[in-house]
Amino acid sequence: MTTTTPVPTETECPPIDFGELKSECVAPRPSIMGQKRGLRSILWLSFKGIVRGLLTTLSYFRRPSTVVTQQYPENRETLEMFERYRGRLSLIHNEEGEHGCTACQICERLCPNASIIITKDKKNEATGKPALDQFIWRQDTCTFCNICVLVCPFDTLEMTGDFESSVYDRRLLVFNLNEYAGPTAGQLDKLEDDELAKAQMKPMKKYQGPVPMCGGEMDGIPKLDVEKPTDV
Amino acid sequence: MTVEVSSLKELVEQASGDDRSPDTQEYFVNMGPQHPSTHGVLRLVLKLDGERVLRCIPVLGYIHRSIEKISEHMNYMNCVHLTDRMDYLSSIMNNWAVSKAVEEAAGIEVNSRIQTIRTIFAELERIQSHQLWWGVLGMDLGAFTPFLYGIRDREVLNDVMEETVGARLTMNYVLPGGLMADIHPNFVHRVKEFIKYFRPKLDEYDDLLTNNVIIQERLRNVGILSPQTAVQYGATGPVLRGSGVAFDLRKDHPYGVYDQADFEVPVGTIGDSWDRYWVRVEEMRQSMNIVEQLLDNIPPGDFLVKKLNSKIKIPEGRYYSQLETARGILGVFIVSDKKDEPYRMHYRSPNFNNLWCLEPMIKGDYIASLIGAMSSLDLVIPDIDR
Repeated sequence: MTTTTPVPTETECPPIDFGELKSECVAPRPSIMGQKRGLRSILWLSFKGIVRGLLTTLSYFRRPSTVVTQQYPENRETLEMFERYRGRLSLIHNEEGEHGCTACQICERLCPNASIIITKDKKNEATGKPALDQFIWRQDTCTFCNICVLVCPFDTLEMTGDFESSVYDRRLLVFNLNEYAGPTAGQLDKLEDDELAKAQMKPMKKYQGPVPMCGGEMDGIPKLDVEKPTDV
Repeated sequence: MTVEVSSLKELVEQASGDDRSPDTQEYFVNMGPQHPSTHGVLRLVLKLDGERVLRCIPVLGYIHRSIEKISEHMNYMNCVHLTDRMDYLSSIMNNWAVSKAVEEAAGIEVNSRIQTIRTIFAELERIQSHQLWWGVLGMDLGAFTPFLYGIRDREVLNDVMEETVGARLTMNYVLPGGLMADIHPNFVHRVKEFIKYFRPKLDEYDDLLTNNVIIQERLRNVGILSPQTAVQYGATGPVLRGSGVAFDLRKDHPYGVYDQADFEVPVGTIGDSWDRYWVRVEEMRQSMNIVEQLLDNIPPGDFLVKKLNSKIKIPEGRYYSQLETARGILGVFIVSDKKDEPYRMHYRSPNFNNLWCLEPMIKGDYIASLIGAMSSLDLVIPDIDR
């Protein structure tokens, strides 16, 4: 059986001029049967080719140290992701638990798929400036393109190495990233009264927000009263 | 050249007429969209006579995500991350294609450090794409071991790139006007280590697949694509070069810093699957040569030429730019109406044109040859549908 590939004649396809091609060609490697060889030569080369392949796998079989398999769930303790790895988004909080987000909404505006929703308090009573109310991040629509981290003028966002994000309910993928609603760390430091500063930090829950899927009730979907996904 | 237009329904009705004879009849079989060797949701309608393929009609649209339409209401910086989802094995090259088009249209000049890093990453990406293809080709033809070996070496390279980029598949590393991040301090050292590791492994590839007589006989003289047909169908990349047409954008219209690198373009002779196989394996060697030459002389400079902003405005007009991905020429066509969003964005993807070469290649041959020929085309289905 020969392949019946229709080769177009000269009239169908005029010769194509590519201009001055500068490509230097490398000659293709011949295959075993491609050359005019005797039957004995062909049989020997075929046998050699198959045996060499088998010997390659056998040599790895005899050297278990070269095995590269990673036993993933077992090596969770020692597994380290690269520092630039783009996993779960997080809002950076300092040692005192204060964030640096001024709710400027640049990340919200530039997010390609509207995964970030920011609500803000237009005028904080103590500082007189706008303050962050909720930083909602929808992991279910996020494509991890890193643009929000890149455009943040105050460097308050980072992508963490946390990659184990599978849950049983889609609503658990809508996060509230800020631990408290209130002014930034810098604005809080300027307040002289520590009590007043403390009073501005209203604690927020991880699953809390105006997005309907975020813990709220919908038709046919019961209200979710989970604070944290349980480790199974 | 006549063009025959007929619907699938008509074709099926024609074939299954009133023929009641006991001889073999022509019949239609669906291959895909859920077939393991179509590498995704590609549906091929095969018109068969016994085991001979008389026609092979690709049916598309099972993974259409309207990336071009979505791009119309995104700014140019955000458009880039969608291209990761087209040809996911050459995502950095896709990013670069859009960035290159936008930079040329908006008149943004990028420095040579950015160009060098982009070129190095494009070549590394080409290597990892061919590594995966090599493993999958073995698996399609019934050898499972090569897949594990290909993936093993790809893993090493993926780690090198992940350290700098932060992602493994959807990289989104190149932006209009620069890069998302500078290269990691370890990068140069680790790439050198990789090349030292991978060169001997390529000889191992030869032992496992290339010199194997079964693989050779299943690829040789199967799926012959003449240079004329390849050009007629608009095939590019290793498919075109396997047919003996020495056309490589990296040589013929150099972009990036390819003009500074010394490399050769492998070209096949008769255009069968074996030639395409050989061209890709040789391309891995040439890519390593390019990376080795560029790695030591990465010029100093910024990784972003200007402040990152979304308001890149392109003057009114039409702009086209193209580059060579691991599968062929990816062209980006932008129609701009002076806004910071494209009026129309079109991608000329290499896999779309390469796919249609399947029918002239395989007409009259066995189904088993179709598998080998399709594997040698190295199709990525999300790139066909976009």
